Amino acid sequence: MTDVVVSSPEQATTPPKRSVGSVLGALEIDTRLLGMIAALIVIWIGFHILSGGTFLSARNLWNLSVQTAAVAIMATGMVLIIVSRNIDLSVGSVLATLGMAMGLLQAEILPGMIGFDHWATWIITLVAGLILGALIGGFQGFIISYVGVPSFIVTLGGLLVWRGVAWALASGRTIAPMDSNFQLLGGGSRGRIGGPASWAVGVFACLGIIFFLLNGRRQRRKFGFRLRPVWAEVTLAVVGSLFVLGAVAVINSYPMPQALAEQYAAERGIAVPPGGIALGIANPVLIAIGVALVMTVIATQRRFGRYVFAIGGNPEAAELGGIKTRWTVLKTYVLMGVLVAIGAAVQTARLNAATSGLGTLTELYVIAAAVIGGTSLAGGIGTISGAVLGALVMQSLQSGMVLMGVDAPLQDIVVGVVLVIAVGIDTFYRRRVSR
Amino acid sequence: MFAGPAIWRDFIIEKTGRKMTMFKRRNLALLATVALLIAACGGGDAATTTAGDVTETTAAAPTTTGAAGAATTSPPGDDEEIIVGVSWNNYNEERWAKSDEPNIVAALEEAGATYISADAGSSAEQQLADVENLMAQGADVLIILAQDGEAILPAVASALEQGVPVIAYDRLIENPGALYITFDNVGVGRLQAEVIYELVPEGNYAIIKGNQADANADFLREGYTQVIGDAESSGAINVACETYTDNWDPAIAQTNMEQCLTQENNAIDAVLSENDGMAGGVVAALEAQGLAGTVPVSGQDGDLAALNRVALGTQSVSVWKDARELGRAAGEAAIQLAQGAAIEDVAGVVQFDSPGGNSMTSILLTPIAITQDNLDVVVDAEWITVDELCQGVTAGAVAVCP
Repeated sequence: MTDVVVSSPEQATTPPKRSVGSVLGALEIDTRLLGMIAALIVIWIGFHILSGGTFLSARNLWNLSVQTAAVAIMATGMVLIIVSRNIDLSVGSVLATLGMAMGLLQAEILPGMIGFDHWATWIITLVAGLILGALIGGFQGFIISYVGVPSFIVTLGGLLVWRGVAWALASGRTIAPMDSNFQLLGGGSRGRIGGPASWAVGVFACLGIIFFLLNGRRQRRKFGFRLRPVWAEVTLAVVGSLFVLGAVAVINSYPMPQALAEQYAAERGIAVPPGGIALGIANPVLIAIGVALVMTVIATQRRFGRYVFAIGGNPEAAELGGIKTRWTVLKTYVLMGVLVAIGAAVQTARLNAATSGLGTLTELYVIAAAVIGGTSLAGGIGTISGAVLGALVMQSLQSGMVLMGVDAPLQDIVVGVVLVIAVGIDTFYRRRVSR
Repeated sequence: MFAGPAIWRDFIIEKTGRKMTMFKRRNLALLATVALLIAACGGGDAATTTAGDVTETTAAAPTTTGAAGAATTSPPGDDEEIIVGVSWNNYNEERWAKSDEPNIVAALEEAGATYISADAGSSAEQQLADVENLMAQGADVLIILAQDGEAILPAVASALEQGVPVIAYDRLIENPGALYITFDNVGVGRLQAEVIYELVPEGNYAIIKGNQADANADFLREGYTQVIGDAESSGAINVACETYTDNWDPAIAQTNMEQCLTQENNAIDAVLSENDGMAGGVVAALEAQGLAGTVPVSGQDGDLAALNRVALGTQSVSVWKDARELGRAAGEAAIQLAQGAAIEDVAGVVQFDSPGGNSMTSILLTPIAITQDNLDVVVDAEWITVDELCQGVTAGAVAVCP
């Protein structure tokens, strides 16, 4: 692999001989992303062997996808914040405050107004949570960008303030249970879309991949950009589609637990089929995928996203170039607040309770996910897909170690070490490429 | 804004309930000062702004105080009135204000003693200063809810040297000269295990323990061993999963339970969870597998959500420590100590061997196991309302729910 330099897309021309580097160049795949996927595969296989064949079971992968969802959702927002050379340390505490506010609203306030388990409860709760999240994010963003207090300090204050607010909202009580419709947001026994719908999502995703590739090609031709070779386009479409359908197949091979399946079949007056009933993709995972897609579009296709990267690359140049940097930074915090609200809804729904201790240390996991995913703390560099993968790496490590029965303190040590190693390799790699 | 009026009302009552006592104290001080000023002004006749006047006012103060003191029917003195100083580690936690303090105060008032207090706000250093301040204010007995059982030792030793008895309230202080009052934590573990063992005498158990750094997590496990230890060694009970939980975090307990169910392919017959918060996470994990209600789960603390789960049948037992009882016991013991009793002579003491190797003179109160059969206990104690307890429960499924 001496020809790593060739793999950077700008320099790749149609090569006479197809070396690994030039193939990747033609496919325009980020080699760092590929490296992360390779690391993830190593971790997965390692745990699979060490856990005696449990880790890569459909069931565990299903668990893993649900457990990753909330952190992945929030990490997508953290990418933009870190890219613009800021930080948000208040994520975990805001999560607790929003979770508690939504818990109180649906368990104690709305039942008194519209009745217990009303159909609209979850919508009102979620919308209120999103608005409150945007307000909290906007408030912190305002102090950061317009008052000019460093984001580290503002959100460090927020870390303390919102944890306190979460406590004060209900004097430290645990609020439970959640509304039965709201619970669906967190997965659980009913919070998934079932087998057939999962296949539909999969097929839809494949069509989406093909559409994006075709559309991208048309755009490039229109503006006279270099086109990918046709074989590369076809390879991307096939590999992408196979990956999506494979993931759906794995998820769908996890049948509903016996007790639930019997209950489900009895409710519909049918017999349980011999292969069991597929659970399908869990709602929080679907939400996380949706959020990641929307955030990718915002970060790469929208003006706002380009501004954020421009500010991170060089704030002065961005300001001089006519970008309203303050307003843009404030908006990243509003977005973060909204994403934290979604994360809080997923977490409280999943736990079926709101506690004032919810999300302790989550800010660090969210930041770590973004950073492991290749977001540079120096600003200007980062991808949404990387952050989602980073979240998956972190959660894989934790779930895997729990499966193996590793003690909690040792788990923390391993996760901490992996964080530093991952960023170390990344830094080393970047230096080598830029040389 | 987002909390219901009822919650804010409780919150305000709880907060101001305490502030009132402080407020009264401040008011008294204020009244005294005003009285002094009036007396001084009356004596000095002309109030001017010269420095001389200020000095005069200060100089006049002791005399006036003396006169006022003499005028009252019972002159204050260390020999007559008992002052009990309470050092809270963190008053912000719901339970201290709601349950413990009012009952300590009630026990003291019955004996005509005075209650003074300080809050360390979760700071071990602040608590050292608080203890000194309480002694400076003339406390005859100290009740200490330690933030850190080790860091508080110098202050406790100094208090004991000055002849001020110390009560270690709910949390262990490793000084054999202190009287330790708590609920029997090993007993809590025993009660949980007894209820679960009766339901599931053999099979696969999952044990969800609390924070590894917290001695209570191991006390509780010790209680489990006392009940299911024989069955464990005979093989009737197989402990399939056993994990500590960082910070007793319900979300971590949920993940751990999910991993346990995955590992054992749902072959878990009972779960011993050390507290109610974690039991909530465990039940959520069981719910996702359709097992909630069929697999017995334990807990402790009498959390409102947990008692609701007991009524719903998804949790089998919540061991409830009636904090009011703890407060009363501490108040009564404080009075006995102030009247000159040695800690060994206080009613109801036993010897307890601490993890630090001390033989502590202790009062160990017995907790109550709350199951579906005796939910009326928590309702009668006004710990929970019937509405809160019975939310979502099918009418008539449990005796207390109408």
